[in-house]
Amino acid sequence: MITALGRTTMESVQYLGQLGLLTWETVKAMFVAPIRWRLVLQQIIEVGSRSQVVVAVTGVFTGAVFAAQIYFQFQRFGMGTAVGSVTALALFRELGPTLTALMVSGRVGAAIAAEIGTMKVTEQVDALRSMGVHPIDYLVVPRSVALIVSMPLLVAEACAFGIIASYVIAVQMLGVAEAPYLRYLNNYTHPSDVAIALIKGFVFAVIIACVACHEGMETANGAAGVRRAPTRAVVISSLSILGMNLVLTFALNIVFPSSR
Amino acid sequence: MIEVRQLSKSFGGRPVLREVNLTMEEGKTLVVLGRSGCGKSVVLKHLIGLLKPDAGCVLVDGEDITGLPERKLTAVRRKIGMLFQSAALFDSMSVERNLAFPLRELGMTDEREIDARVAEALDMVGLGGEQMKMPADLSGGMRKRVGLARTIVGRPRCVLYDEPTTGLDPITTDSINHMIRRLQRKLRVTSIVVTHDMKTAFHCADRVALLHEGRVHFDGTVEELRASKDPVMTDFIEGRSGETD
Ligand SMILES: Nc1ncnc2c1ncn2[C@@H]1O[C@H](COP(=O)(O)OP(=O)(O)O)[C@@H](O)[C@H]1O
Ligand SMILES: [Mg+2]
Repeated sequence: MITALGRTTMESVQYLGQLGLLTWETVKAMFVAPIRWRLVLQQIIEVGSRSQVVVAVTGVFTGAVFAAQIYFQFQRFGMGTAVGSVTALALFRELGPTLTALMVSGRVGAAIAAEIGTMKVTEQVDALRSMGVHPIDYLVVPRSVALIVSMPLLVAEACAFGIIASYVIAVQMLGVAEAPYLRYLNNYTHPSDVAIALIKGFVFAVIIACVACHEGMETANGAAGVRRAPTRAVVISSLSILGMNLVLTFALNIVFPSSR
Repeated sequence: MIEVRQLSKSFGGRPVLREVNLTMEEGKTLVVLGRSGCGKSVVLKHLIGLLKPDAGCVLVDGEDITGLPERKLTAVRRKIGMLFQSAALFDSMSVERNLAFPLRELGMTDEREIDARVAEALDMVGLGGEQMKMPADLSGGMRKRVGLARTIVGRPRCVLYDEPTTGLDPITTDSINHMIRRLQRKLRVTSIVVTHDMKTAFHCADRVALLHEGRVHFDGTVEELRASKDPVMTDFIEGRSGETD
């Protein structure tokens, strides 16, 4: 038991080391090699643009159920009008970034790991190298940049759809008075809440990109390896996102104190 | 042009190459023979730094490339083209884009010139007009030939062929053999041909090396190969496994 725990810890530390190395290589590549903007754009369309529906639907349903639950609880104390602001805070600070990241890791992270993994085992990565093209420049940098650009926008989109959905549920369906609802929403949401959403989105994008590219580049053992790569990418990045979210929640509370 | 000295490599503790020595002369063709799994592809991958040796070194034009980091290898790799055993076509790109890729990486921007070079290379492998096909829609032999065209389209000074004729029909095999010879004669391309096809070996080789149990068992001219009485050599040339029914 102790040895198993020790080994898991060792492996996690080693894994973190490998991710760190890949991140360092990727950042370095952005400076020493010209960024391939055409590939970046292609990936933004692939990663960002095509994730919009999934992310919007996630936002709508999350905002809707959250607003309903808050209303059921709060109206007992006659605070039904606070539904909008509470939902918005929850969306910006926690639900929006986290759920968006989990959806994107399932949709995009898995695809990246499978694609790079296939290229790895079919020697396409070696073929790139044989032509003097660094796989980090050609495969990792465009996907990472695309994720980092897209994620904050996707998070914002999820939050916006969530807030609209909560308005529809609370005001249109459950009959909360519109004027105080909007006043609360206005008074109790701050730019710092949006900042938290965007910062979390950025950090989660880095996690998804690193883990997915790493799993792809480390794929071996033919078809069996390619089958494992996306699963590992999704599991590892999802757990990392949840863990990192806790850390960020506390860290960002120091940066943006909620005393107001 | 390329020299391999005391090259050793193991995978997971299992030695594949043990102190391999080889010399490839400028403008000549070296054929590397050996049974499947004896490490021929591993040797080729060392020549352009795709694999790092455990011991020994690889010299290209007198420069030791074994310690070079990935980005410093670009210059060497642009001199040398490699045909992978699996062809390694980019399966997200059409045949045309596969062939144009190395040209664009070499800095060519004139689309008309790129088109002309692509068409010329495809003609050389007998696949003129197949530009728009996707790799998934090609047969194994066609993929191999597209891979070959992609290898030579950038006109490298040296070409490494990993089993260029394996899995091809006899007629295509013959035309590929002639092409390898023609490239070498006309353009003075240094060639290394890995194969276990004796016809290819006899047709193309200036020198022949045989890998056996991780070592260079034989290294000599075609005439010396034919004259050899060594049982390992004769069994290989005549295709005898030593088994009986
Ligand atoms: N990247 C690798 N990882 C582990 N083992 C490898 C790797 N590449 C080759 N090998 C092993 O090295 C041996 C020689 O392989 P290879 O050079 O492909 O043989 P061949 O002579 O048929 O081209 C094989 O046993 C193969 O399993
Ligand atoms: Mg091989």
